[in-house]
Amino acid sequence: MKQNLRQSLNTGITFGLVHVFLVLIGFNTLIGTLFAKLFGTPVSGSQPPAFTLIIYTAILGIWAGLAATKKAQNRTLPGFLAAGTLSGLTAGVIGFLFSLGLGWFLVNRVDFRQYLAFLSFDFIKATLFNLTPLLGALLTAGIFTAAGAVGGLVNGVRNIRRVKEGFNTIRLAGGRVVYNASALLHGRHRLFVRIGLLTALAALIILLPLKWGSYWNYVAGTVGLYVILGLGLNIIVGLSGQLVLGYIAFFAIGAYTMALLNSPIPHNLMWGFWPAVVLGVVLAALAGLLLGLPLMRLRGDYLAIVTLGFGEIIRILLKSDVLTDFTGGPRGIQNINGPVLFGKAFNSDIHFTYLIFAAVVLAAFVYSHLENSRTGRAWLAIREDETVARATGVNTTRYKLLALALGAAFAGLAGAIYASRNQFTGPEEHSLMASINVISLIIVGGMGNIPGTILGAFALKGLPEILREFANYRLLTFGALLVVMMLSRPNGLIPSRRPRYKIKDELENNPGSAEGENDQ
Amino acid sequence: MINFAHGEVMMLGAYSGFFVFEAFKAIKVSTEPVLTFSNAYPVLAVLIAFLVGMTVSALAGYSLERIAYRPLRKAPRLVPLIGAIGASIFLQNAAQLLFSPQLRDVTNPEILARGTGWSIMVNGSKVILPYTGVFTFVLSLILLAGLYLVVQKTRLGRSMRAVALDKKTASLMGIDVDKTISLTFLISGALAGAAGVMWGIHNGLVYYFVGFIPGIKAFTAAVLGGIGNLPGAMLGGLFLGLIESLGPAALGIDFQLKDVIAFALLIIVLIFRPSGLLGERLAEEKL
Repeated sequence: MKQNLRQSLNTGITFGLVHVFLVLIGFNTLIGTLFAKLFGTPVSGSQPPAFTLIIYTAILGIWAGLAATKKAQNRTLPGFLAAGTLSGLTAGVIGFLFSLGLGWFLVNRVDFRQYLAFLSFDFIKATLFNLTPLLGALLTAGIFTAAGAVGGLVNGVRNIRRVKEGFNTIRLAGGRVVYNASALLHGRHRLFVRIGLLTALAALIILLPLKWGSYWNYVAGTVGLYVILGLGLNIIVGLSGQLVLGYIAFFAIGAYTMALLNSPIPHNLMWGFWPAVVLGVVLAALAGLLLGLPLMRLRGDYLAIVTLGFGEIIRILLKSDVLTDFTGGPRGIQNINGPVLFGKAFNSDIHFTYLIFAAVVLAAFVYSHLENSRTGRAWLAIREDETVARATGVNTTRYKLLALALGAAFAGLAGAIYASRNQFTGPEEHSLMASINVISLIIVGGMGNIPGTILGAFALKGLPEILREFANYRLLTFGALLVVMMLSRPNGLIPSRRPRYKIKDELENNPGSAEGENDQ
Repeated sequence: MINFAHGEVMMLGAYSGFFVFEAFKAIKVSTEPVLTFSNAYPVLAVLIAFLVGMTVSALAGYSLERIAYRPLRKAPRLVPLIGAIGASIFLQNAAQLLFSPQLRDVTNPEILARGTGWSIMVNGSKVILPYTGVFTFVLSLILLAGLYLVVQKTRLGRSMRAVALDKKTASLMGIDVDKTISLTFLISGALAGAAGVMWGIHNGLVYYFVGFIPGIKAFTAAVLGGIGNLPGAMLGGLFLGLIESLGPAALGIDFQLKDVIAFALLIIVLIFRPSGLLGERLAEEKL
């Protein structure tokens, strides 16, 4: 009983503080504006109407109630209700005091915006639901409490045996659907199914760029490049287990090779796209090799920091004035020429999108072959336990260096294409943040497999384009997402499956005996 | 595990110091002549600034550990590292959204004004030894002496060293590992906060990104001296600071490349002498 009490209080306090934080970063009015757009209500002035904020607060309150009653812990239905209400009430008290504080600022016309950027008077008025501070504060507390009760009630209802059984039936039915779909892909007619799917996919890939318009072509191209980057980093981090944080340095090498060989300033070499791409890939691979040589003995975290340092060194060197004569300095390199294929120059985003898709297909092809080969298995062995791998005869140094070189090559390819498409590249594009972007996309999507990489690239590069309103909060959400993903699904949204071997006879004869299966 | 978010903890302390000084700047003790609280009671103002900064950062470090690090203690190496990076990005952007990206100017009490100091003659030319610089240096020495005493002479310090050596055995010896780690993060947070306030006083600029490079350099200093080795870390910090300041001039290269020196030093140390100048080997595989 006491533990339940404490859980409700803790949840309430957490949500109260989260509410304060979200208000101070202007999140409540953002969501309010989105709701207004959703309901078609016009937004007068810069702040959304009060009812949208009421809905927003209610959602937070319901969540507080749900979180407080997450684990059943021998509660009766009234118990659920009480726990939810208590949690909502606690959050409400914090919200109440906070609203009173905001009201003080409003009443005394204290403009605190130089310290807390969002607290304009209009904003405070809206947050108080356009009521007097006392009423606004009371309403906040009331909404939180009531919504908390609702949240608790929902979990209480979910906990009733009949309801649980109902959910289980639905879950079983869903599982059956997935099983049937999977049977299609792996069953007797799988060749037909797979060819059918691939044809549909190919049709999409060829036809969509023609219909999209140049903006979505650009976005698709960016997502594609990030898929290539993700695959390359997956070789290094996902397959061979070496944590490299300065990955974007190899991308920079590819981009700058393309740029320096194809731009009038600083060198005016004009070699053309294709030789520059090849050279970019080769140089990047070489760089990966050279970087790896001294680092073979370093352990996980330290390898990460060293590679981070290396990436930063490359960026600072590119940015400094010292090497301007060679690399173009802080302003970067402009007017990079585009590719010319069979005499036709690439002058629209559609062409680049096709080129990038082709590169993605190539990268995926190489990756999947590597993954399922002897090399791939060597990498997996190294990732799981380097000492044991060495003991079983795997030449760890050679395979680790190979992983670095290949991963770097992928990055070089992506970099070269990127520089050519953007016709510009500069030192600030190759920062630590870009490396973190790539690492996050493979971690969020799922390490070590191709669908995961594609999902990650889309989630981290495609979604922000779709959710433009959240632009200011993008990095904040990104950081929070990383932490949440690590706490809940560290293997990513599409976890990798290790090769499994079933010994068929034993399964059929003795269902209870050990199968030759590995676990995650 | 490398606490990527340590720089952000320092940043929060720096912001706290800034806010305290701003508040004291606004409180006027008398109007003829105009005397702000900061200038009327400078010692008190500075003391409060440090207390607030250290408390805020200590709490930040503690929350960080409870929310993002403790649940991931048993996970493979990559997971807590990414969690730390995520926390770092989150804190940076939270600060940017809360306090706006504007660069903030810290107003010191007048006796500690930036740029003023003792004038001394060196080789015929006048050089200023800044008050803020000396203040920072002396305060750091005091804090580090305090830390050394805590770690070497107290029971808590013994627990910390035991947990660092071998968590499981420490718990078998009756040490509450969770509490020890929490206290460690509290102390390290407090120190980061002090560093943040000192940064504000000495360098004058506070902004949401201010913690990033110092965070990495802090790690460099720790590695230089040898991880797990406190006097080593102090020496490492001193050494790094000296090399960074004197390096570009001595090597004849641009001052822009100051950070390159720091990173290069980190790489060289980790490759050639992972045990650091004085300390423990944790960078290499234990075969």
